[in-house]
Amino acid sequence: MRFAFMCRDRGGRRGSVAIIGAGPAGLAAAGYLTCMGYEVDVYDKLPYVGGLMMFAIPSYRIYPDNVIEGVEDLRDRLSVRFYLRTKVFAKNQSRHDEGDEFVEKVVNLEDLVEKYNAVLISTGTWSSRKLGVEGEDSRNVLTALEYLYHWRLYEEGLATEKPPTGRNVVVVGAGLSAIDAAEKALETGADVYIVYRRTIAEAPAGIYPINELIKRGVRFVELVQPTKIISEGGYARGLELVKMKLGEPDETGRPRPIPVPGTEFVMEADLVILAVGEIPTPPFVDKFMNISIDRSRRIQVNNRYQTALEKVFAAGDVVTGPSFIGKAFGSGLRAAKYIDSYLYLRR
Amino acid sequence: MGREVNPESVLGISVRRFVMVNKCIGCYTCEEVCKFLNDEQQFIKLYEIESGLSKPISCFHCVKAPCVTVCPTNALIVDRDGAVVTRVTRCIGCTSCIIACPFGIPDLLPVGHVVKCDLCSKLRSEGLEPGCIAVCPTNAILWGKPEDITRMLREKTLLKLVEAYRR
Repeated sequence: MRFAFMCRDRGGRRGSVAIIGAGPAGLAAAGYLTCMGYEVDVYDKLPYVGGLMMFAIPSYRIYPDNVIEGVEDLRDRLSVRFYLRTKVFAKNQSRHDEGDEFVEKVVNLEDLVEKYNAVLISTGTWSSRKLGVEGEDSRNVLTALEYLYHWRLYEEGLATEKPPTGRNVVVVGAGLSAIDAAEKALETGADVYIVYRRTIAEAPAGIYPINELIKRGVRFVELVQPTKIISEGGYARGLELVKMKLGEPDETGRPRPIPVPGTEFVMEADLVILAVGEIPTPPFVDKFMNISIDRSRRIQVNNRYQTALEKVFAAGDVVTGPSFIGKAFGSGLRAAKYIDSYLYLRR
Repeated sequence: MGREVNPESVLGISVRRFVMVNKCIGCYTCEEVCKFLNDEQQFIKLYEIESGLSKPISCFHCVKAPCVTVCPTNALIVDRDGAVVTRVTRCIGCTSCIIACPFGIPDLLPVGHVVKCDLCSKLRSEGLEPGCIAVCPTNAILWGKPEDITRMLREKTLLKLVEAYRR
């Protein structure tokens, strides 16, 4: 997987760009900008480059070596510099996100904005939504991101222990993270259930991947919503769920799931995986200078991927919310192109 | 160039693109990069053929391309590397290539000429790979000599067969 696919050698542009977050968006931008000739420094909090491609998507879908090859090409052929285990965050602000365990150094966002000619924020979605129900903080309740990330750490030798396993695994949600988590749990030999509050027809992952999992033995339980995680001594033993019915379309255009009172029932589980969505993790809490975020914590940009701060651009999932690798890649490329015109016109 | 090319000699020297649909995870990287390189036109494009199942399709650059054969103005030609490319200035927009193509690949633009994948002529002229091939995260889009690809596929098939017997 090449990120600098557009050039053999670096071009003649002069200037420096900092890229925060080395996922598909950041790496695509790094490839474009280094090809143009800019000095590109990439910052990432993790010990390896690649973001969710490296640390969340199961390695049988995307081979890590494939990503590493592209990164080595950026580093060795095109002199892109990588600062790993380095989290960039606004001064005097802090927030703990998933994947922060390896951070050895925190760099102030202010310093990057000061030091570089332009900055690209491509920090993705390293925070998971929770259900907000009782018992969710039990030891064997993980988010899909935590679960998949922990598996990848173990496979890479960055964690000595495997993530928690169970005989009865319940995955909550029906998006792509739910699919990946259920598939991974199936591999461990567990009985896997996916519970979803709407029906298969509304599942964000689509019908096909769910049917593939059903063929492999996963049980898909639709029209149910967890109301409580039944926990003993900080350890989940099961979930209480309520049956749902579909109502009028909601703001997303999908039928709104409505709980049916009195239909509560219990499912046993010794591992619960919450796959109910991920949230953007910009390198600041609510606001940075005049850069703002929306209600879903997405960074606000104009149609040139530029934030309210002239020299700061943003791309990828931190702007769009969770999406596809390719969409993040494409937005990184376009942002890079606008960074180039911004820097070129300013000279 | 064009019609004078003997397909066998082309096959002998050229590399080809192979899209391994089974390896594709439907991530849209090829489509996005193609769009970026071609002013928002998509010459490799994913279709959600079933809910939750998206796969890419693009020109196969047929060795005996029907579109090249039927083109009345010689606008479609086979280039040195074996890529089927359009010379838009010669295209009259007759759409006979669209009818001839067994895969539904050429697109007619409102301005009146046909466009299609040229396997990134510009990148190839600089000795680089076409964009979709370079960026595919799963190596589902391959660039190689047909004999190498078939060899790889046959070896993989044999491995599968051997595995099946081991069980």
